[in-house]
Amino acid sequence: MPGYFAPRREVLQAHGSFPDCGLRIARVKMRRLARRERVDSQVPQQDETEERLRPLMIRSLEGDSGAHRQLLGVLGRYLRGYFARRIGTGTAEVEDLVQETLLAVHLKRDSYDRSLPFTPWAYALARYKLIDHLRRRSRSIQVPLEDAGALFAADGAEEGALRIDLDRLLQRLPDRQRSLIEDVKLQGLSVEEAARKRGVTAVSARVMLHRSLKWLNQVLRDENG
Amino acid sequence: MRTADLIELLACDVRATPPGVVNRRLLAALIAGGAVTLAIVALGLHCQPLLVAAQQPWFWMKAAYTGLLTLAGAVLVKRLSVPGARAGAAPRLAALVILAMLALGAGQILSATPGARLALWLGHTWKVCSPLILLLALPIYAGLVAAIRRLAPTRPALAGTAAGFTAGTLAATLYGLHCPEQAPAFVATWYTLGIAAATALGAITGRRLLRW
Repeated sequence: MPGYFAPRREVLQAHGSFPDCGLRIARVKMRRLARRERVDSQVPQQDETEERLRPLMIRSLEGDSGAHRQLLGVLGRYLRGYFARRIGTGTAEVEDLVQETLLAVHLKRDSYDRSLPFTPWAYALARYKLIDHLRRRSRSIQVPLEDAGALFAADGAEEGALRIDLDRLLQRLPDRQRSLIEDVKLQGLSVEEAARKRGVTAVSARVMLHRSLKWLNQVLRDENG
Repeated sequence: MRTADLIELLACDVRATPPGVVNRRLLAALIAGGAVTLAIVALGLHCQPLLVAAQQPWFWMKAAYTGLLTLAGAVLVKRLSVPGARAGAAPRLAALVILAMLALGAGQILSATPGARLALWLGHTWKVCSPLILLLALPIYAGLVAAIRRLAPTRPALAGTAAGFTAGTLAATLYGLHCPEQAPAFVATWYTLGIAAATALGAITGRRLLRW
């Protein structure tokens, strides 16, 4: 049943955004079938993931950096597995893509609506990053539109090698920003401590850090292709 | 840099964000862009006296048509600006409203005497109506694009289309304050055409402008 059913559902979702007036009844039927299918497939595991990750995301949005760290750690493992399954384990690009996506999750977390489930949000973002990556490599690989289950199916592959090293990119930052990041990253200082050491206010250090991350996101996007 | 190091770095950049950021940013964009468009309509095009116009039923017919479309468009933009949300019922609502307007216009043409049809359809301003709506949509579209870029549209072309549509409908609503045309047949054709042009602009430029 799932084999017959899954591709049809993809088609519906792919076109479900605009000209879907006539497909409503079919969709309701599909949804009912999907619900039944969920019982014996991987989705219960996904619900568990949802229950684990959504509170973390909400706490992270409330400013809890511990929850944020934990969330990104778990998400990183899922992303590594998802990308490895799509573009091949052991490719250096996998880890690049993991880092790029984590950076995007971090910088775009404002766009998550707390009243909605978290896993579809994360999946859509990961899928966008994957497609963007593949497009930049101008490979004609099709990325099927699946459930969030595709991302949260199995927990992770091994952390692989890197093709683009963020450290190398960071060398291009202005001195003040770079040294701030090095203090935080290498010496494990808090932003406040690093700010005091460099003689800037904590607020401007935070702004600097945030700007550096945004800059990194841009460069990564343009290089990673 | 190892991924674990990156995560440590990102954890240092956590700040509390209030809920509802998405709605606030998009609303601010609509208001800012709409204000520019309104200023152009009021200063450049000379509004008809609003108090007189507001007593006419056709004024409200136009406002209801484009206003409902703006509402549907705004909901759609919101959904397409963030990852993982479905388009929902907004496109259907918009299609329904447009069909109703087209039916109203066609009905008017059909029930008119053959000699009066062309005058009803073309009004006095058919040549400028659609281009002006497209022009007036530009500030609103620019505002929306700026706001959406700060969010995360995972389908940029669709998000651009929705933004163009919304900008077109809001521009048409504000243009309605100026435009003295009264015939449903006129509105159904030339207003809709202007909105379609703005939508097309969004569809063409969205893919490029809204990548992140």
